[in-house]
Formats: sequence, structure tokens, C-alpha cells
Amino acid sequence: MLLTIGLAILVMLALGVCFAMLLGWANVAWKVDVPLQLRQLTDAMPGANCGGCGYIGCAEYAEAVFRGEAPPDKCPVGGAAVARHVAEIMGIDLQETLPYRPVVHCGADYDCRLKRAEYTGERTCGAANLVAGVQGCTYGCLGFGDCEWACQFDAVKMVNGLAVIDYDKCTGCGACAKACPRHIISMVPFKAERIVVVACSSKDPGKVVRSVCTVGCIGCGICQKLNELFTVTDNLASINYDHYDAQADFAPVLAKCPRQTLIYVGKPSAKDLAAVAGEELPERVEADFKTTVDDADYRG
Amino acid sequence: MGVVTEILMLGLATAVINNLVLAYFVGICPFLGVSRRIDTAFGMGCAVVFVTTLSGVVTWAISHFALIEGAPLVNWINSLAGASPDKPVVADLLFLQYILFIFVIAGMVQLVEMYMRKFAHALYKALGVYLPLITTNCAILFVCLIIAKRPAIGDSFLRSLVYSFFGGVGFTLAIVLMAGIREELDAADIPEPLKGPGITLITAGIMALAFMGFKGMAG
Repeated sequence: MLLTIGLAILVMLALGVCFAMLLGWANVAWKVDVPLQLRQLTDAMPGANCGGCGYIGCAEYAEAVFRGEAPPDKCPVGGAAVARHVAEIMGIDLQETLPYRPVVHCGADYDCRLKRAEYTGERTCGAANLVAGVQGCTYGCLGFGDCEWACQFDAVKMVNGLAVIDYDKCTGCGACAKACPRHIISMVPFKAERIVVVACSSKDPGKVVRSVCTVGCIGCGICQKLNELFTVTDNLASINYDHYDAQADFAPVLAKCPRQTLIYVGKPSAKDLAAVAGEELPERVEADFKTTVDDADYRG
Repeated sequence: MGVVTEILMLGLATAVINNLVLAYFVGICPFLGVSRRIDTAFGMGCAVVFVTTLSGVVTWAISHFALIEGAPLVNWINSLAGASPDKPVVADLLFLQYILFIFVIAGMVQLVEMYMRKFAHALYKALGVYLPLITTNCAILFVCLIIAKRPAIGDSFLRSLVYSFFGGVGFTLAIVLMAGIREELDAADIPEPLKGPGITLITAGIMALAFMGFKGMAG
């Protein structure tokens, strides 16, 4: 018994020493000169070999970064920390990637928009969108919550018939933007916690918009005159986010907008809330249209 | 039976009839894990062919020179202990088989990886991360143990070589077929609860059933 154990230990030990020497020799004899930078990069990787970066394994990605073919921030496991480390090793500036967040380009809840007919069909936006004349505006939010269904993070809520994004929960996955059959949700680079957006998608002429909605953009062009960031095309204002400056004062533009179509969305910072706390907000324009289905259960 | 016929028969029997994955159910984890796309599955298969052949040969040599009854190492130990031939101190070292094989396979793959990195960089890139990943794959150890335990295969070096090579080929065949089916499954209308691993396992089971049809053909 003792002999057997001793033999086993001896044989394994002898073999271990043989292999160690063989591998040690191979390591020196077949040495491949790896640049210091590449070695550092390989060490910086988390080593999960998950393939999330799009390359086969961490070593492959490190090599691609080394050759300058891959950006330093592709590793989903390592996240920002690894990205910073990699950028540091490569001596390149890590470009701050802006978080993209969805923005609902419609500001009209049930009280603001004209209901043209009673809709009793399938209660999804996708179905309602196929039926002409469910609501006055052919561009705006239908209010059945396809985006709410699409959101896995419980970040979209229907508030009085209008999709409202909870930016605390939102991860920017873009599922809601894909789900909206009217394409009124777009992904916008959030350069600040709160940014100005155009809460309307209507390309109808001002007169038509006025007849169906109290908050829709009528394409008057006042914002365009006051601030060069805004442009009005096809009766609809839009904002050039490439040149958007979060520090700029948008108050004059927002105050002059006759329809309050330009609004702030995002997380309200304490400073923002304090700034508007003492101010009197302008009253909303009264509806100037008549509707016959106000009391209906189903509303478009 | 000529040598060539014998090789072909053994090859067919190993790769198709006694397929490692679909008849013996070894190497299931890479079979399910790396069978999402045909090209990666083929890369994995090539790496397995490479490693099974190599480790099959090396472990055959180790078995015959160190472990089995009458091997040089065993004889040497007995003569060192001064034992008479009819009453040896140790009959064989076969109890070391498992741990030794795992050890040798891992070591050999390391060595080969270093060699390839230096002298065959294209192959090194092609096999990529799969080579180190499969050092502890059960299919490899299975091939080595079958060679050691079945005298019909293990007694001849040529048959061991053929068996280990075609064992890898059989694995490649199974995983590439699986990857092809799974690529088609992506577009198929699968019931919600079966999506993902469920339908993959069912597919694997049906494939194994289909391969049972080869049973009794040869080998």
C-alpha cells in the first residue's frame, strides 16, 4: 500500500518535473516577441473570453486595439474602468460617449388633443394606427402604450394618454423607439440631465395643428429667429443636438413659443427645480375645438 | 482485410456509428455551447481533431512505455526492487491512468500552443481561443481512455491513431450539423417555452436517434 502511494507520488513528481522543464524550455526557445503595450493590454482585459466585444476572446480584442482597429471602450464586462485603462495604455483620449435616451416627440395628453371618433378595436397603438381618424392628429401619441409594453425596465408610463419616460429607470436600450408605430420616440444624445426637446411630430400646417391639438408645433418660426439651434422645416421645429450647449439659456425661446411645444425633459436637477420654483408658469391655451366623444370609454 | 480497408472501416465506425457526441454523449458542453454558428463550430471541431489525435498518440505511448503490465517503466521498477519476475512488486501502474492522462493532455496542448504561436501563426489564429478551452474536454479524455482500455484498438499504434483522429472528425461532424440546424432554427417558429436551450436539447436528442440508424452497419 505504502509502496503504491510512494510510487504514484514519485511517478507524478518525475513527470511533473519533466513537463515543467519541457514547457520552460519551450517558453524560452519559442519565445514570441510581444510588444510591451500589447502585453499590458492583454493583462488589462478581464479575461472572461465572452466575445461581447465582437472578437473571439480577450486576446484577440487586445490585439485589435493594439493595431488601432478597435476602439478602447468595447469591453462590456470591464465597462468604463477597463476602457479608461486601455485608453491610458494606448495613450489615446477616451471619447466621452453620450448616453442616448428616448424622447417622446409629442406633448399632448387626452385633454390637449382632439378625439375624432370612438375606437373600440384592438387596444394597441399598432392596430389603432391602421385606422384612419382615431384621433385628430395623425402624428401624435395614440396612448395605448406599445412603448410601455416594449420597455423591459418599467421606464415608460402612460400618463393620461401620453407616453412619459422615467429617466431614472431608462437604460437607453431603444426598445420603445422601435415599438412606436408612429415613430414619435427618437433616441437623443443627452448632453445634460435635462435637455430641451420639441414635443411635437406634426408636419401639418399650423391651421390644421391648431384644429386638433393645443400644444402642437405650428411652425411659426419664432424659435428659429431667437436661437440658431432651432430650425423649422415642414412646419415642425427641430433642434440641432450636435451643437447643443447644456449651459445655454433657453428661457427666452421657451417663453416665446406660443404653443409650449418646446419643453425640458430628463431628470430635473435640484438647481433646475429651484430656478423654476418661484416663477409663475404660463397657463395652457384653451382648446378651441369641439368633440363629440368626450364621454366615450375608449379614446384615441 | 487490407490495411486501408481496415483503416476506413475503423474510421467510419468511429466517426459515424460510434459518434462521440451522439452515441456516447461525451463532449456535450462544447457541442451545445459553441454550435451557434457554422464557422465557429467548425473551428472548434478542427481544434478537437487536432487535440484528440495528439493526445491519443501521446497517451498511447505513455500507456505502453510506463503504465501497462510489462512496460519498460514497470519492469525497471521491479528490477530496481529486486523482485523475481513471477512475483513483481508492482504489476502495473494503470491506477495512475486518469490523472496522468489529464496531466499529459493539458501539458501537451500548452506545448503545442507555444509551438504554433511561434511557427504556425495562421493556424494559431484560426484555432484561437478554442485550443486552450478544450484541454479539459471530456471527449478528449474519453478517446484516450478507450484507447487504453480496449485491446482491439489500443494494441496497435495505427489503430489508436485512426481511432483518435476519426473520433475528432465525428465530433466535428456532429457539431457542424448541429450548428447548421441551429442557424435554421433562428428563423423557425418555435413555441415560446421551448426557445433557446429547450429546442437545442430536443434537436440533439433527435440527432442522436437518427445516428442510431447507423448501428449494426460496421464495427
